[in-house]
Amino acid sequence: MNNNNKMGSDPIPQQQQEIEIEGGGGQLSPSSSGYAGGIGSSSNSNPSSEIESSEIQHGENNSTSNGVVYDSASWVPGKRHDDEVSSTLQAIISFVENGGDCVNFVRAGKHQLLVILTKSVNRCFEKNPKFDMTPLLGGTDVVFSSLIHSFSWNPAAFLHAYTCLPLAYPTRQAAGAILQDVADSGVLFAILMCKHKVVSLVGAQKASLHPDDMLLLANFVLSSESFRTSESFSPICLPRYNPMAFLYAYVHFLDVETYLMLLTTSSDAFFHLKDCRIRIEMVLLKSNVLSEVQMSLLEGGLYVEDLPIDPSPRSGYLSPHLGHHRPGTESPSRCRDANPGIGGPAGLWHFIYRSINLDQYVSSEFSSPINSSHQQKRLYRAYQKLYASMHDKGTGPHKTQFRRDENYVLLCWITQDFELYAAFDPLADKALAIKTCNRVCQWVRDVENDIFLLGASPFSW
Amino acid sequence: MGCSASLPDRNSTARLTGFNSESNGATDSKNLKVKLVLLGDSGVGKSCIVLRFVRGQFDPTSKVTVGASFLSQTIALQDSSTVKFEIWDTAGQERYAALAPLYYRGAGVAVVVYDITSPESFNKAQYWVKELQKHGSPDIVMALVGNKADLQDSRQVPIQDAMDYAEKNGMFFIETSAKTADNINQLFEEIAKRLPRTLSS
Ligand SMILES: Nc1nc2c(ncn2[C@@H]2O[C@H](COP(=O)(O)OP(=O)(O)OP(=O)(O)O)[C@@H](O)[C@H]2O)c(=O)[nH]1
Ligand SMILES: [Mg+2]
Repeated sequence: MNNNNKMGSDPIPQQQQEIEIEGGGGQLSPSSSGYAGGIGSSSNSNPSSEIESSEIQHGENNSTSNGVVYDSASWVPGKRHDDEVSSTLQAIISFVENGGDCVNFVRAGKHQLLVILTKSVNRCFEKNPKFDMTPLLGGTDVVFSSLIHSFSWNPAAFLHAYTCLPLAYPTRQAAGAILQDVADSGVLFAILMCKHKVVSLVGAQKASLHPDDMLLLANFVLSSESFRTSESFSPICLPRYNPMAFLYAYVHFLDVETYLMLLTTSSDAFFHLKDCRIRIEMVLLKSNVLSEVQMSLLEGGLYVEDLPIDPSPRSGYLSPHLGHHRPGTESPSRCRDANPGIGGPAGLWHFIYRSINLDQYVSSEFSSPINSSHQQKRLYRAYQKLYASMHDKGTGPHKTQFRRDENYVLLCWITQDFELYAAFDPLADKALAIKTCNRVCQWVRDVENDIFLLGASPFSW
Repeated sequence: MGCSASLPDRNSTARLTGFNSESNGATDSKNLKVKLVLLGDSGVGKSCIVLRFVRGQFDPTSKVTVGASFLSQTIALQDSSTVKFEIWDTAGQERYAALAPLYYRGAGVAVVVYDITSPESFNKAQYWVKELQKHGSPDIVMALVGNKADLQDSRQVPIQDAMDYAEKNGMFFIETSAKTADNINQLFEEIAKRLPRTLSS
């Protein structure tokens, strides 16, 4: 698959699979005080993680056909599948057969049911466990198909975190301010999203929105075509917020990708929410938020090729690029031009950084060589397994995992503040890879104002 | 919704509200505003009728409605008065049936739709008529609409049956096709003519 040996280290035979718990070869040495200690020592004192790792290794051995699970399901966006409950079942079965994260998925599926049907489902099941809810599910096929699909590409599904659309800090602030205004007038949650990414979100006092609920809500709205046709007002339930409560959602698409959701407890609030939306839309247009959202969608995001070589902490260093990313531009410290088409420095192909306090993650944009959807799904599955192996058993304050197989070098580093998942060229040099992970963390910190929703987070109430 | 007096509403003084206000929510004698709700089985074409009326479009790829969609459209009548329809296009899916009162509460007009090729949808329409008679505003204007009239060859609901039923229940009846636009504007014009004009001179 890849005979590139740019790192100059000894080539690793293709069939060799090595799982290493980080010990020597390099230290993740945080340069800012926010990182709690190097990772070598703490993981060495944790022999149980070694066992976990080898279990994963076995799972990984026969996983080459994974990651295309969903392809066999008949998911046609926008199409009505009135009698295709069976196709959903089919997709679920193949998902499970291919070793998907069933427990997580089944819970998500149950919660998605609640989102759609609200507490009436629970009540029906309490009264009659054999209750047949098929008639209640008419037209929801696409919602579940799309949820299954999420479990093959959306890191939010296993990270239990949400991600933001990269935006210049003042732009996100402007959006947050008008949403806050509205939230103060009796709206429980005001959420502005672009596709699956959050532009800004605000909760009324004491109300906090769980990332899992956000995933289900976004999935519901994005997969139900009728929301795009006109503004709507419908009852929903947020299982993590309150599985027994009805909420009402005002949903309006501001453009093809960007949509506003205003959630309330009041069934009478439609016209108030409609007024709120008109106000919000005016402010967003005036302050150019919507056009910057479109720009970011086209060109924003973190590219591994742009990882700064010099890790010195310069706050906001790359933020000018976030909204207006263009290949081959000025910055001398980027090595994109040096390594065209083979990822970032030290063979870095991709990473996901999850901030634990913020409940948010950022993942780098896919670039060569992870550019086919098959490769992306395979990497997704690898991350998913890595995540599971790090979280299944009790995790200490820090933990690392370094593993090499014929597809990747995968590196995971968990501290109290963040989790980093990184994928490298399978031939990557270990010491360099570890160094690179440190740089990724520094980079994320440097640009955190633009990639995360800070401060106004409802999670901080 | 629309039944709360405490609802903040900056820009309209006479928005249609609740049982205790006039159900056609007249803003003045020349310019009426009325809340209209569409009810009927899933797939009979409620959304298509509304989109044909409001946007002049027909999209054959169906988009099953979630909860309810809100659209509005103003028409001018021959006597140069106008009627603004505030339309609630409800979801016909079974799971939303219990929520219908949320949308028909305070409505001045109810349009009950069935599909002329589907007898079940005609039964469902009769269910909605009964429900509205029990729980709707007493002076609600009701229309019975047989949609998909372009599918004459597959007709299963005889026009006479529907006419008889409508007459018995004091409803206005019309067959439409959202696909060909047949009778769509007529439907709304006829409704507009039937609105009570309490203040008219
Ligand atoms: N031939 C024909 N097809 C129609 C007509 N109106 C609607 N349809 C088709 O009927 C299907 C359902 O139409 P919708 O308007 O989505 O039905 P609905 O009543 O809104 O359904 P729910 O939103 O689930 O309650 C669509 O596939 C339309 O293409 C019509 O006048 N003639
Ligand atoms: Mg509809």
